[in-house]
Amino acid sequence: MIRRIWLLVTCFTLVAVLAACAAPVPPTAAPNTEGQPAEAATQAPAADPGRLTVLCTPQEDWCVALTQAFQAETGIQTNYVRLSSGESVARLRAGKDNPEFDVWFGGPMDGYEVAKTEGLIEPYVSPNAAAVKDTLKDKDGYWTGVYVGAFGFCSNKEVLSSLGLDVPDSWDDLLDPKLKGQIAMAHPATSGTAFTALWTIATLQGGDIDKAFEYYKKLNNNILQYTKTGSAPGPMAGRGEIAIALIFSHDCVKFQKEGMTSLVTSFPAEGTGYEIGGVGIVKGTQNLEASKKWIDWVLTGKVQEIAATVNSFQLPTVPDAAVPPEAVKLDTLNLVDYDFIASAAAKKGITERFDAEIAPAPKE
Amino acid sequence: MVSGSINRRLNEFRRIGADWTLVSGLLLVVVFLGVGIVYPLFKMLGVSFTAEALSYYVRYFSSPVYLGILWNTVKLGLTVGLLGTVLGFLFAYVQVRVDVPFKRFMHLMALMPIISPPFAVATSAIVLFGRGGLITYKLLGFRYNIYGFTGLTAVLTLSLFTVAYMNLQGMLRALDPSLDEAATNLGASKWDVFRTVTIPMLIPGIASSFLLLFVEAIADLANPLVLGGDFTVLASRVYIAISGEYDIFAGSVLSVILLVPSLTVFIVQRYWVSRKSVISVTGKPSGKPTLITNPFIRWGLFGLAMFFSLLILLIYGTVLVGAFTELFGINYALTLRHFQFVLFGLGSQAMLDTSKMSLIATPIAGVLGMLIAWLVVRKNFSGRGLIDFISMLGIALPGTVLGIGYLLAFNRPLKIDNTILLPALAGGNAIAGGTIALILAYVVRSVPAGVRAGVASLQQIDPSIEEASISLGADSATTFRKITLPLIRPAFLTGLVYSFARSMTSLSAVIFLSTPYAKIMTAQILNEVDAGRFGNAFAYCDILILLVLLVIGFLYLVVGTTTGVERDFGVSL
Repeated sequence: MIRRIWLLVTCFTLVAVLAACAAPVPPTAAPNTEGQPAEAATQAPAADPGRLTVLCTPQEDWCVALTQAFQAETGIQTNYVRLSSGESVARLRAGKDNPEFDVWFGGPMDGYEVAKTEGLIEPYVSPNAAAVKDTLKDKDGYWTGVYVGAFGFCSNKEVLSSLGLDVPDSWDDLLDPKLKGQIAMAHPATSGTAFTALWTIATLQGGDIDKAFEYYKKLNNNILQYTKTGSAPGPMAGRGEIAIALIFSHDCVKFQKEGMTSLVTSFPAEGTGYEIGGVGIVKGTQNLEASKKWIDWVLTGKVQEIAATVNSFQLPTVPDAAVPPEAVKLDTLNLVDYDFIASAAAKKGITERFDAEIAPAPKE
Repeated sequence: MVSGSINRRLNEFRRIGADWTLVSGLLLVVVFLGVGIVYPLFKMLGVSFTAEALSYYVRYFSSPVYLGILWNTVKLGLTVGLLGTVLGFLFAYVQVRVDVPFKRFMHLMALMPIISPPFAVATSAIVLFGRGGLITYKLLGFRYNIYGFTGLTAVLTLSLFTVAYMNLQGMLRALDPSLDEAATNLGASKWDVFRTVTIPMLIPGIASSFLLLFVEAIADLANPLVLGGDFTVLASRVYIAISGEYDIFAGSVLSVILLVPSLTVFIVQRYWVSRKSVISVTGKPSGKPTLITNPFIRWGLFGLAMFFSLLILLIYGTVLVGAFTELFGINYALTLRHFQFVLFGLGSQAMLDTSKMSLIATPIAGVLGMLIAWLVVRKNFSGRGLIDFISMLGIALPGTVLGIGYLLAFNRPLKIDNTILLPALAGGNAIAGGTIALILAYVVRSVPAGVRAGVASLQQIDPSIEEASISLGADSATTFRKITLPLIRPAFLTGLVYSFARSMTSLSAVIFLSTPYAKIMTAQILNEVDAGRFGNAFAYCDILILLVLLVIGFLYLVVGTTTGVERDFGVSL
């Protein structure tokens, strides 16, 4: 019996020691010690050129499809972590001296502008970026647009009709007292989607932040919950837990396609916001060549067409990618003049104020 | 006077120095507690008292919104503490004092929450009792809003009451029935006995269950994130501050605010309530307790306990069925695609990483727990109480507090001048991809259960057995290995089992430490739940429960028999 205990302890210790073996070589002053421990380390993020870690912001299945395809095509071992836009910037900030990611893919351009200002991403002008319109990329090459999407209302028509309401087509419709606890959006600290909504409203108020906050305060009375991820309110509406989700319209179409048939997309007549999903190289990456390859690769038509295979119906940014029929028709919408340079500069202030005054505040 | 005390100290050092087992054991424990708990805690406290952070205190304590959040946190702790204790008492009382069928089933249902990940109950509750819920809406036709205080309280109570159940069940069993008999002989009715004998004897157990539940409820992160609605608590604020803004000042200050009630309540529980125990366990209670015979009370209690058992069964049944369902609530077609994602898709990395790290952490926590218990109970040295206390902090500190401490302490190498004392342990570019910090966090979180089980078990064993071994010429190490460890085998097993279950299911302490190379299953479940992919979340939960059960089964097989172990398993806190 006793022997068995020791056998067990020894076994476990052996496993522990083996796993730890990768570790204990302390990094010396010379920076180039990767080669030695990396062989034993199955998990260590050593800088061998055949590796890429993607910080991925869109829907998880898109991240999966892209990283798998990239790995199959290039042989570069590709891994991803899915984080929302706000979380991504926070993570990049946390790892600024010693980045754990190589490229950042997806998420609205406001986040990329913040990352650019804070020195978290570095410029790279891909030869393939020439095909992308100038309005869809950073003039200094820090980020390049990979998709475009419009913000919208994603409503459950059954819940709406049980409340005696029509599908909303105005920002004011959202303030109806009948909708108390029937709307959800994400938290702007973590989600770029939510920030797009806030900035759209601010733009419609003529850039008057105080007036925008008056609107958020009224809207807050009807909000059930602020979620972590931008698209998360969609399934809540799909399951009939809320009437209206404030999300990007392509995500609403995705959830419809995947079986949430009560959902219907609509847009505010006063004007709606949009996102240019970006891609950029994380500053200080140790896998620069692989990172550049990733950027060149996602700016090709066939790669942008992968999105529609996993029900992500954003508009592609390169002309030779086929536009899926489910994608939003931008020319039918009233788009606000979304100034993402100004929005990035105002992001921290708005988010913090929202987080302090609106999100945790009790409802009236 | 002074020289006498110095002499005593010197003598003590000489005595300790002579016993190399004690020296090496002590050294190991001190280094572990220092690196794993004290250093990160002080690092976090350090940040929270910098000039920059002080303005946050002013901001929080002058804002009615933040005072509201503080009150919400306390309110949640109090309510869950109260309801959880009542529910735990109901289950314990039915188990020990009422003669009804299906006791074994009720016992198993009450234990379910220990081995299940934090989201199982919440997610299930949403699809069953939410606005579009299967029971509330589809069956009963009303739209119940589960998000917010009531839903959160209900889910937390069902997820946490096990602590109270095991605690009170152990105490009820240890109550000497001769006291009841004496009261009855003196003419007391059953109700009188219950009111004036049973309950007063259980007061310490009830109080300590309440306080433990309070600490766990205010530290919980998973459920407020998923079900909070407009009911905001401190733990979720800490999470938003770090994950959304990487504002370490806000995170640290909120952590300190969360730390104060947790630690106070914990200290009260540990050093005051648990000392008030009026039960003297001198061996097995004599005679059998008289069982409740009044049919109304008997079947009334049975009905209540059965209702909650079935509720738990329904909840976990949904977790099981939901994983095989295309879109629970909308489309009930059978599918295996969720399992495919978790087992063979890119979701499998989280499963493998978490299992590997938990498997490494488990034996380390098990042995350390026994070592600390042995040092605390059997060895005599200054600072014994301190070691006991610090080791318990692993569980008393809210997970988010520990997580921030680790982030601050281990994300960068520890340097003095330009010499690296400790390389970076956390983060994607740390050594071993950040796994070391994660394993350390797992060990720190699981050691307390092992320590408590070990202490309880060692106190029951007469030290003369060990003394005999020493007299016969064995050294301390041999005695520990050949005499002590086999005697406390059930406690050791408890430590191992608890440690593995705890590691696999913990979220709040490790969520900030997950890296691309060390993905955490519970963090992945949070993503799936948050994004509304409940099928994947259910599949993860099922796999996680299955893995925990498999490893527990394996541990029973290798380390011990099932007899007596189960009892220890529960009273571990």
